[in-house]
Amino acid sequence: MKKFKKLLSILIAIGLALTMLTGCESKNETNGGTTSEETIKIGVLVADVSGEEALGFRSYYENYIAKNYNVEFSYTDALASAEDEKAAIEKFASQGYKAVISLSSSDRAQQIETCEKYGIYYAVASGVLADEQFETYKRYEYFVGQVGPSNTTEFEAGKQMGAYYKDQGVSNVAIYGAFIPSPMHVYRTAGVISGLGLTYGGADDMEGIVGQIFADQSVDLSKLSGDINVVSYMQGYGDTTTDEINAAIQNNPDVFISVGMATTFFAQPLSKAGISFSDIDSFTSANGTSIKEGTLTYLAGKYSSSIGPVFALVYDAVNGNVIRDNDDNAVSINQSYLVATDGTMFDEYYVSDNGDSPIYNVEILNTIIGNDVTYDDVLALVESK
Amino acid sequence: MSSFNKVIKTLVVPIMVFAILEIICLTQGQNIINNIKAFDNFVVYTAIVMVTTIALSINLNSGRFDFSLGSMAALSSAIGAKISYLLCAGNNYSAIVMLLITIICGALLGLLSGVIYVTLRIPPIIASLGVTLVYEGLLYTITGGKYLMTEVQNDAMSSFVGTWVYATIIIIIVLIIVIVIFDYTRFGIDYSALRNGQKVAVNTGVNEVKNALICYIICGTLMGIVGFLNAARNTNINGGQLNFGSISIMFTAFLPMFIGTYIGNYTNEKIGFLLAALCMSMLNSTFAVLANKVTASSQSIINAVLLVLFLIYLNNKDAFLKKIKKQS
Repeated sequence: MKKFKKLLSILIAIGLALTMLTGCESKNETNGGTTSEETIKIGVLVADVSGEEALGFRSYYENYIAKNYNVEFSYTDALASAEDEKAAIEKFASQGYKAVISLSSSDRAQQIETCEKYGIYYAVASGVLADEQFETYKRYEYFVGQVGPSNTTEFEAGKQMGAYYKDQGVSNVAIYGAFIPSPMHVYRTAGVISGLGLTYGGADDMEGIVGQIFADQSVDLSKLSGDINVVSYMQGYGDTTTDEINAAIQNNPDVFISVGMATTFFAQPLSKAGISFSDIDSFTSANGTSIKEGTLTYLAGKYSSSIGPVFALVYDAVNGNVIRDNDDNAVSINQSYLVATDGTMFDEYYVSDNGDSPIYNVEILNTIIGNDVTYDDVLALVESK
Repeated sequence: MSSFNKVIKTLVVPIMVFAILEIICLTQGQNIINNIKAFDNFVVYTAIVMVTTIALSINLNSGRFDFSLGSMAALSSAIGAKISYLLCAGNNYSAIVMLLITIICGALLGLLSGVIYVTLRIPPIIASLGVTLVYEGLLYTITGGKYLMTEVQNDAMSSFVGTWVYATIIIIIVLIIVIVIFDYTRFGIDYSALRNGQKVAVNTGVNEVKNALICYIICGTLMGIVGFLNAARNTNINGGQLNFGSISIMFTAFLPMFIGTYIGNYTNEKIGFLLAALCMSMLNSTFAVLANKVTASSQSIINAVLLVLFLIYLNNKDAFLKKIKKQS
């Protein structure tokens, strides 16, 4: 009996050991060219859960990246405040998440501080930090970096859009400032004002206009001056937005210029009213429909897989290769916008970045994933797209 | 009071409101309603406010403060949008199918809210707070916290609120049905008896529970209509209205309810609500004219101040009129 018990114990021990080894083997599968012992859990901070751009980004991570790499993405609900962002990061930390990718911008400084405190890698995938903020945090251990349009690029995108309509000869415009004082929207709106050939409080340069919009937390129409008449300005989204968009439509603008989210919220009423509109958003199917119907007449957009390089940076960092620039700072790489003004131009970008064949596909991402990847590799790839 | 006097006193508030607001708009070189689009918006907004006001007044006038009205509107419209999209996929029948489903869902949600109230026998304000949280949670679960857009963005929906015609039909039908139910049926007589003296009414054989349940069903039905109109007008349904976020739908009706009740002293109360809704819609249209000068937050403040001023007037009406007479 004693021998039997001993034998049984040995068999159980061997069984357990084999089970554990089998488990290890299954988790040591090669994914996308890298080897990882366990699924890497990445938290994604989002403020917008409904917008065309946000849905495109989410689909790329969840339906493409997660299938091709050993990662698991967990999205937050719509974060409405800096407190919500902090709480979400703390929740990720308590659940053993290795990294956080931020698409929410209520308080990026606090996000970085919180991730640093809990030892979670952090990267910005939408918008970038203000220059002063980046200077402050660029040496933080867990701040991986940011890949996206710089503030100057945001301004230029707005300026190009404003100039497009000025060249078209519009005389009355309505402007949607999206979620000012979000920095990216401030810079875009300042660009639109500049591109339309208007001055704001006497200023016509980027710094002058941006500084005043930040101070006003809005666009004060009485400060605008120039040949084109801004018949309506609105920002944000809430209980009164429907009344505001109706008021804007009643003013019969030649065009409704939006610096973000118009394609999500206003495409229907603007189309119905026969008012053309523009947006800085993303190359998604809904925007394709609008641009082919002729209602969306200008789209400066990112493609859904444009957040691929940020994932690669985070993935490298978690696997031990924290990429730094040549001055040993966190990575900061500018991405440009693509512009479409008709269906053909739209398809050129949309078709090449779709579903299972994104622009940043596995083969391309693998060139910047690995222990030998350097800043120059990442920079070269992003600049080539 | 003679009929002529009644008509004058019924119309004095809307006429005064129109005169004041039109003068304000004229200072900007515009009118309250400048074009057909403005008129369409005016009528649709009137319908939403009137129906919400009637729904709010039904329970409030019986001493039942119902916080769950907004959540009923939001949840019923979300369910209606999801089902109608499954059935119609955004075709020409989408709007009417969604309206019908939303009304049915609203009635069921109203019934459930009423059952909870009469079963638990806790103060209606507490019961309605709990129901609000539950309905908002269900809404969040159904939508994942996202805005429902695909389901409500189609030609049928935008056509429904793109003209004054359908909103006018809704106003007329709702008014007729509500007036008939509350003024010409046994239920209406019982409701009136309970409203004026609950104990006496119950002692004379009025079934209080049955009456309350019917009230909740009617409220839910009306809020279903409001939910549909809001979805069509906003071109989305906000699925992330947690922590009493839906209450704002109901709060739009407070000022018109008090104004309507005041006007109701001289005419049918429901007609009073229509006239009050017209006043609110004129104010809303004036805000549209002044949109570049009066910000959205300022508009909310103005609405709140007007509500407080009107309540102050109502509570001190006799003293106020006495003072005016004395001075004259």
